[in-house]
Amino acid sequence: MSAIIEVVGLEKRFGTFQAVRGVSFQVDRGEIFGYLGANGAGKSTTIRILCGLMTPSGGTASVAGHDVASDPEGVRFSVGYMSQRFSLYPDLTAMENLDFFGGAYRLARRARLRRAEALLGDVGLSADDPRTAGAMPGGVRQRLALAAALLHGPQVVFLDEPTAGVDPEARRTFWRIIRKLSDSGTTVFVTTHYMDEAEYCHRVGLMVDGALVALDTPSGLKRAHVPGRLFAVRGTGLDVARLRELAGVTHVEPFGAGLHVRGDLLTAEVLSEAVRAHGGQGVLVEESAPTLEDVFLAVAARSSAG
Amino acid sequence: MNPRRFVVRVFAMARKEWMHLGRDRATVLFALGMPVILLVLFGYAVSFDIDHIPTVLVDEDWTPESRSLASHFSSGATFELVATVGSAREVERLFREGHAKVGLVIPKGYGRELARGNGRVQLLVDASDNMTASSVLSYASRFNVWKNHELLRVHFGNRADLIEVRGRALYNPAIRSVVFLVPGLIAMIQSMMAVILTALTVAREWERGSMEQLFATPVGRLEIVLGKLLPYFGVAMAQLLLVLALATWVFGVPIRGSMVALLGISTLFLLATLSQGLFISVMARNQMVATQAAAVSSMLPSMLLSGFVLPIENMPRPLQIMTNIVPARHFVHALRAIMLRDADLSVLGRDAFALVVFALVMLVLATRRFPRRLA
Ligand SMILES: Nc1ncnc2c1ncn2[C@@H]1O[C@H](COP(=O)(O)OP(=O)(O)OP(=O)(O)O)[C@@H](O)[C@H]1O
Ligand SMILES: [Mg+2]
Repeated sequence: MSAIIEVVGLEKRFGTFQAVRGVSFQVDRGEIFGYLGANGAGKSTTIRILCGLMTPSGGTASVAGHDVASDPEGVRFSVGYMSQRFSLYPDLTAMENLDFFGGAYRLARRARLRRAEALLGDVGLSADDPRTAGAMPGGVRQRLALAAALLHGPQVVFLDEPTAGVDPEARRTFWRIIRKLSDSGTTVFVTTHYMDEAEYCHRVGLMVDGALVALDTPSGLKRAHVPGRLFAVRGTGLDVARLRELAGVTHVEPFGAGLHVRGDLLTAEVLSEAVRAHGGQGVLVEESAPTLEDVFLAVAARSSAG
Repeated sequence: MNPRRFVVRVFAMARKEWMHLGRDRATVLFALGMPVILLVLFGYAVSFDIDHIPTVLVDEDWTPESRSLASHFSSGATFELVATVGSAREVERLFREGHAKVGLVIPKGYGRELARGNGRVQLLVDASDNMTASSVLSYASRFNVWKNHELLRVHFGNRADLIEVRGRALYNPAIRSVVFLVPGLIAMIQSMMAVILTALTVAREWERGSMEQLFATPVGRLEIVLGKLLPYFGVAMAQLLLVLALATWVFGVPIRGSMVALLGISTLFLLATLSQGLFISVMARNQMVATQAAAVSSMLPSMLLSGFVLPIENMPRPLQIMTNIVPARHFVHALRAIMLRDADLSVLGRDAFALVVFALVMLVLATRRFPRRLA
C-alpha cells in the first residue's frame, strides 16, 4: 500500500528562525497519525505546509500525489483542515458556515446543503440549530469545525489540536468520530498535547524544536524509549538524587504526584525497601505499564541533553 | 476555469458577506445613518449663502429720507436690523462683542445733501469674517446702483438714458450655494463611506483567523474579491439613493436630467470606490490600519481634488492632471451635469471612462496583491 503523505527533508524558516528542521516521514492511507510536541515545536507549521498554506523553505512534501509547493490547488481539493484556532465565522450558524465553505469547495448549492446536513448528523449536531458558532460551547464548535473540514470528502484531514480546551467527555466523543473516519478510509493527521489521546493513534511522531526525533507505533515507542520495568512510586520524603544512585535504577522522573522509576533488574520489593531506607514515608510501589508520557519525557530529556 | 463553478463560489462568498451584514446591526446602522448625518451637517455648514446678517443702524439725520433709506436697506433677507444706536463708536463696540457685523451710518444732514444730489452714507463692515464682508460690499455696490437708478428715474422720468446690465442666473436662479455644493458633498460622503465599507472586510478575516480556513479551500482570489464587492455594492447603492433623496427633499437640489444616467454613473463610481477600499483591505492586515488608510485616501482627494469646493480650473496644471485619478472628481462633474443642467449625456463619456479604468485597476491590484498563503 502506498503512502498518502510523503515528506522528505522538510524545512521551514521564518527569517533566521528555523521552525521545522529536515523532517521526513510517510503516512499510509487510512492511518491515524499523531503528532506530538511541546509548544512551539513546529507541529502547526508542518501541518500548514502540508495543507498548502505555507511554502516550505526546503525539502519536499506531497499529499495525495500533489506536491505542496508546486500544486497547492490540487492539495486543497484533497485535504481538509481544521486549524488550531477556531476559524469558522462566529456570527453564522452551523448550517450557514457549512453552506459557505461548501461553496468555497465548488459544491453546487443543493448538493452542499444535503452534504452539510448529513455531516452535521455524523458529528452529532443538528442542521437547524439556531445558535451562531460563537455561542456554541467549545466541544460542539470543534465538531462543527471538523464537519467543515470534511465537506468535500477529502482523502486526508489535518486536525491541529482539535480537542484543546475541551472537557474529557467531549474529547472522547471527538475521538470516536476520528476512529470512524479512519475506518472509512480517511487518513487522519492529528496533533495533540494529550498523551492519552496519542495512544489512540496508529503511529505517533515526536517533535522537539522543529525536528522529528521519534516515530513509531505507541507500543514500539515505549519498547524503544522506555526499556526495562517501570515502577510508580508514591509517598512523602522521596529523595530523587539518592534513588538515581541505586543499583539497577536507570531513570527517575517526576510523574504526577510521585515518581516513575525504571530499571532492568529491579523488583517492587527491592525498590520499596530502598526508598524507605532513604527516608521515604508512606511508600507505595507498583509496577506499571509505560505511557507515552514516559516516552515523551525520556525523548525530550535525551534531546535537550544532546 | 469553469465559469459556472466560478459563479457558484462568488455567490457563496457574497451570500456569506450579506449574512455578516445581516448579523451586524451596528454596521448597518452606521452605513445608513452616517451618510445622512454627514449630508445634513455638511449641507448646512457649507451653505455659503449669507443672509440675516446682524446689522445696526446709526441714524443721525432722522428725516423721512434717512428712514426710507434705512428701511429699504433692511427690507430684504440679507440684513437683519438688530439694534439702533447713537454713534459709530457704539457700532464698533457691538462688532467687538459679536452682536453685529454690519453698521449703516446715516450722517446728520443726509436728507438735505440728498436733495442737492450728494447723499452719502457710510457702511461699516466687520471684515474679520471676509466671506461676509465681501458679500456685504458687493451687495452695497449693487444697492448703490439700484438706488441711483431709482433717483434718476424720479428726477428725469423716462428721458433718462440708463444702462442696466441684468444678470440672469441659469440652473440655479437664486444662486444658492447649496445647489452647487450638494452634488460635491454627495460625492465626498459616498467616497468615504464606500471605501470604509469594504476596507474592513478583508482585514476582518485576517483578524478573526477565518482567512486561514479560507486559504485552505480552493477558493480563488478573484472570487473572494468579487464576492466581497457584490453585497457592499448593494449597501453603497442604498446609501447613495438615501442621500440623493435627502438632497432633493431637504436642500431642494433638483434632479433635472435622466435618472437612468444618474444611476449608471453612480454604479461606476461606487464600483470604483468600493474597489479602492478592497485594495486597501488587502494591503492592510488589521482593521485599525485599514480604517485610517481608507479615511485618508478617500476624504482628502474627494474634498480637495474633486472640484467640490476648490474649482479645478484654478489649480496649478499638475494638480489638475492629478484630479483625473480621483473618482469623486468625475462623479462631482457628472452629478452636476445631470442633476443641475440636464446636460447632454456625451459630456459624461470622459467621466464614465475614467471611473471604469479606476475600478478595473483597483480590482486587478486587489486581486494581484491578495496573498494565497500564510507565509
Ligand atoms: N508566521 C510565522 N512567522 C514567524 N514565526 C512563526 C510563524 N508561525 C510560527 N512561527 C514560529 O515557529 C515556531 C513553531 O510554531 P508552531 O505553531 O508550528 O508550533 P506548534 O508546535 O504548533 O506549537 P503549539 O503547541 O503552541 O501550537 C514557533 O516558535 C512560532 O513562534
Ligand atoms: Mg500549533
